[in-house]
Amino acid sequence: MKPLLPEYLFFIALAAGVTGITLLAGSPVWYLNVILLTLLLGIMVITRTWHDRGFYLVCGGEPLVVACSTINLWAGLFTVCMLAGIVYGALGLCESRQDLRPFVLFCGSSFFIVLVIQLSNHVLLPLLILGSITAIILAIQSVRAYQFRKLYSGA
Amino acid sequence: MLLRRCTQGLSLISLLLISCALILDDMAVLLAGGTLAMGILGQYLLFDNRLREIVTSVEIRRSLNRNPVRKGTTLQVASTITFRGSSRMHIQVEDLLPPNTILVDGVISVTTSPDPSSQTHQFNYRIIPVIHGTHHFSGLSVHVRNIFFEDTITLTRESDREPVLSVQPSGLFAAPVSDVSGGTMDSRKMSVWKGVDIHSLREYTIGDDLSHVDWKISAKHDKIFIRKYSGVMSHPPLIIVDLPWNGMPYPEKDFNRMVSDVTGMVKHTIQTYQYVSVLLISGPNILHLIREEKNISRCISALQEWMHPAERFVHFYRMPDRSDLRSHVRDIENVLQQTTDTRTLAFYELLRDRYLTILQYQRAPAFSGQVARTLSQLLMSDAYLFSLGCGDSSHIRHVVRQLQSRKIRVHIRIVDATLSGTSSIRAYLADTRGVRS
Repeated sequence: MKPLLPEYLFFIALAAGVTGITLLAGSPVWYLNVILLTLLLGIMVITRTWHDRGFYLVCGGEPLVVACSTINLWAGLFTVCMLAGIVYGALGLCESRQDLRPFVLFCGSSFFIVLVIQLSNHVLLPLLILGSITAIILAIQSVRAYQFRKLYSGA
Repeated sequence: MLLRRCTQGLSLISLLLISCALILDDMAVLLAGGTLAMGILGQYLLFDNRLREIVTSVEIRRSLNRNPVRKGTTLQVASTITFRGSSRMHIQVEDLLPPNTILVDGVISVTTSPDPSSQTHQFNYRIIPVIHGTHHFSGLSVHVRNIFFEDTITLTRESDREPVLSVQPSGLFAAPVSDVSGGTMDSRKMSVWKGVDIHSLREYTIGDDLSHVDWKISAKHDKIFIRKYSGVMSHPPLIIVDLPWNGMPYPEKDFNRMVSDVTGMVKHTIQTYQYVSVLLISGPNILHLIREEKNISRCISALQEWMHPAERFVHFYRMPDRSDLRSHVRDIENVLQQTTDTRTLAFYELLRDRYLTILQYQRAPAFSGQVARTLSQLLMSDAYLFSLGCGDSSHIRHVVRQLQSRKIRVHIRIVDATLSGTSSIRAYLADTRGVRS
């Protein structure tokens, strides 16, 4: 029997998790999550041979992330991690143990984001924190890139 | 660093989600947008890290089949590029040619699919340098891309630009089609000789030759018109200047006189023939060809630029011409048939053997071929060769041989201020007047 592809494994986990979260929360719009799950599955199947498949999967998965985050932020974190697993699997980035390291790092940073959002009352503060962190990383990276290019290209 | 199409789309979605979160003050939308942005940032850091690993592993070794080379000649280059590949990364490495060179054939770039092992690629290609001087190779171009990003970095470290290509000047290697043809050219100057081209038409006046009447034009205008034919004149002489070597002392006074003589001859030739061609050599090295120059001031400035003692990359060291050697061998064989004296016979046999040995091992020099190619671009019936005559002058024989094989009269002017008599320019003016009168 042919083993399931990693993206389908992640999807099964996502489907199980989203169903459980929806049932536990007793949301009046429970059918929305089911529709969005079906939509994501449809996109996964349709775009199997397409270029830039990651883009379509993210487009199909983000509404589900928003829907689950509306119920509970930690449910949103779970959805984000599973969606990332689906995208990684679809792009062939989950083939070895070493490949899992970026995925784990992404899950860790997503946890940090959820934590910051959880502790805030409004969007502005977490947005400023995230923006500042991104700006600092990009600034450091720019300096490193400049030094690297100067060393190898003399420019 | 460039974002690929997929990443551009994801960045746009992330931006839209964050904007919506800010406007709606919705934490759920912020979570979706923030995590997406963080994912893109993480991929960027990962890509940058792998790019550095690849770039630091790149090494190149180039070897040239000869160095230095002459301008316009083909040069074979063999490059060996080694680098460590990466999974998920497509790598394209290109060997960058030295500036002012043309790629004749061969492959200079390689594209590899994702593979984390160390890779070695061999390039063999041929280039033609078109400008003389010393040129470094331009380095290496490394283009790396994955699903999300792509970037190109040009490596210009000292080790990436070796070796230094030394290109020596040479005669013009392309032989353009001359705009004059035949043994003579038409001239608008008054001449007793009638050319074939019609210069103009004018109305008939009493005394005109009736054989020159253009009957068609005359019938059309109901007046008699006379054809004015162009005159004919011979092609201007080629002036060859043999510049002294800057590596040894030379008589400056004689050199200045040679410069003055050449300048005077150039001016006179342009005034007489409308254009002049000057070939500048230094020993068996062709430095420059001023080809069919019509402007006196431009020609003089070119002469001022080039007429200095020059570096000689090639020396002949009294190399005899092969035709002369064959001629000597024939003469010796004639002498051997007529001589009976044993000592004389032994001497001539030894001399003949020496000549034959030289003929066996000595090939025709590249200089002769370059002179032949340069002369093939020009039309002339006379050539004037100016030289100081100091040092080895065997290259002059090679030039003269090429000119004579084309039935061109050669006038050699060894400029020596200590010798009395007419100067070369006066002799030349006398020659030209004699021809034309």
